[in-house]
Amino acid sequence: MIYKKAFSFIKRDLILATSYKFEFFLRLFFMFFSILTFYFVAKLIGGAGVQYLEPYGGDYFSFVLIGIAFSGYLMTALRGFSESIRGEQMMGTLEAMLVTPTNTSTIITLSSLWSFIFTSFRVLVYLLIGVFLLGVDMSDANLFAAMVILILTIICFSSIGIISASFIMILKRGDPINMLFMSTSELFGGVFFPIAVLPGWLQTVSHILPITYSLSGMRHALLQGYSLHALAPDIIALAVFSVVLVPLGLLAFKYGVKKAKVDGTLIQY
Amino acid sequence: MEYFIETYDLTKKFTLQKGFTDFLMHPFRKDEITAVEKVNIKIGKGELFGILGPNGAGKTTLIKLLCTLILPTEGTAYVNGYNIAENSGKVRESTGFITADERSFYWRLTGRQNLKFFASLHNFYSHDAQKRVDELLNIVGLKNRADDRFLSYSAGMKQRMAIARGLLNDPEVVFMDEPTKGLDPGAAQNLREFIKERIVKEQGKTVFLSTHHLGEAEQLCDRIAIIDEGEIRVIGSPEELKSELDKPNSTLDDVFIHYTGKEFKEEVAPKHPYSERRRMMREGRRGMMRGGRIGGIRF
Ligand SMILES: Nc1ncnc2c1ncn2[C@@H]1O[C@H](COP(=O)(O)OP(=O)(O)OP(=O)(O)O)[C@@H](O)[C@H]1O
Ligand SMILES: [Mg+2]
Repeated sequence: MIYKKAFSFIKRDLILATSYKFEFFLRLFFMFFSILTFYFVAKLIGGAGVQYLEPYGGDYFSFVLIGIAFSGYLMTALRGFSESIRGEQMMGTLEAMLVTPTNTSTIITLSSLWSFIFTSFRVLVYLLIGVFLLGVDMSDANLFAAMVILILTIICFSSIGIISASFIMILKRGDPINMLFMSTSELFGGVFFPIAVLPGWLQTVSHILPITYSLSGMRHALLQGYSLHALAPDIIALAVFSVVLVPLGLLAFKYGVKKAKVDGTLIQY
Repeated sequence: MEYFIETYDLTKKFTLQKGFTDFLMHPFRKDEITAVEKVNIKIGKGELFGILGPNGAGKTTLIKLLCTLILPTEGTAYVNGYNIAENSGKVRESTGFITADERSFYWRLTGRQNLKFFASLHNFYSHDAQKRVDELLNIVGLKNRADDRFLSYSAGMKQRMAIARGLLNDPEVVFMDEPTKGLDPGAAQNLREFIKERIVKEQGKTVFLSTHHLGEAEQLCDRIAIIDEGEIRVIGSPEELKSELDKPNSTLDDVFIHYTGKEFKEEVAPKHPYSERRRMMREGRRGMMRGGRIGGIRF
């Protein structure tokens, strides 16, 4: 019955989101702006960094479009879980949910579903605009492989998000996980430029971040149509991260809930 | 006799959060506050049990312990035979919790949407949820306003919604934390009757409520526990408590002073120059609408 429960969370969030109609449309509208910015940056760069971009097909705009689109999942995961906890704490609805038989991890997971759906929608819009209006070539894309990478990406990022939420539950604000990943991922994760641009010793940092593998895999799958076999290094790396991060996330969360129940701070903010 | 709520030396100590300088000065000192101390109570089926105490006495903490929202420091408790720490899921399945906190709803959803959402957390979906929600809207008399946004409700209607939500899973035991808080005297009186007549007598629920109104406790409860500084001072029916004092015609006031050594101050609503006028206007509006309203309890 979990899907029915999921549906009722999505329905709740959809009604809440659309009840702020102006904000809803504003968000849709401003999506176009960030894409256009990079379109013109790409125009300026032209063929400049081509030796770095070669492994991804050579076109900067295509490269960065996938970077900003899919790094959105990391931001959503990092913010989604902890914001849904904080939001419910602030609204005062968390307690009312916690006295029901639905367990806390289900509540938190389902509460962030909507942000993932909204992010997916945004990614789709980015890609469609890129392909149909701004000349990005994805005719060779291996959609199945992209899906596999997307799922692993969401699992990894969500685990990090849940660890971050566990900190939020105890510290309320200023959780270190969020800051760590937010500040490092754009620089080291290859969102705006290939990590090959970085000096060698900095690239080591890139290699311990899941986003690096996720973006590299996604670009290869969508822009060059790599097979699952060719994508194996990225897929294996993401799978290893998942195996480590998922139990870690569940453990941290369990500890966070317990600590909050002992301190009586579950509903404070 | 079988008990629906049993506690054994139930104790909750909170560790106080230290300020930064405090932490530097005494890094190892632990400041604790005992909110609930060695509480032993037994409550049977169909009983309307009230816990009476001044602000900060530990009423909310005790209720939250029993609802599994916080974990005890020492002692154990069973609700419906389930241990609150080890079997908290089962406890939540068979209890309802009603707060006076009106923020505990989504203000931008309608009353019905709110109830349906919370029904899904109780594992009622689609048709079942619909049916259950309709039933409850009928019981609390809010059918006509169910499709208005929650933010448009009056304090009394919000409280009725909270009651409907607390009954969604048809619980055996209902916990109510100051159910009449924020209601005007008439509305509070209606709510008290509603609790007694419909929830306890008609539906046979066991109710555990907290209050700091002596009158409310006296009028409503089969048994009262007086709590002060986390400790239960005395338990008994209002009549028992009064007759046990060696004073003729003693009131619950006297009982309270006797057991806590404190004067009980009933909260006085702050006087507001407009509140009286607003009340009259409301009365007037109600008067006009009376004809069109279907029966039901209003509070
Ligand atoms: N999370 C917490 N951390 C620290 N102290 C707490 C916490 N929650 C409650 N307390 C303390 O425990 C004591 C009992 O509080 P509680 O809220 O249970 O009282 P109450 O009887 O419900 O009061 P009121 O009538 O004001 O609602 C108070 O001294 C309060 O400051
Ligand atoms: Mg209280």
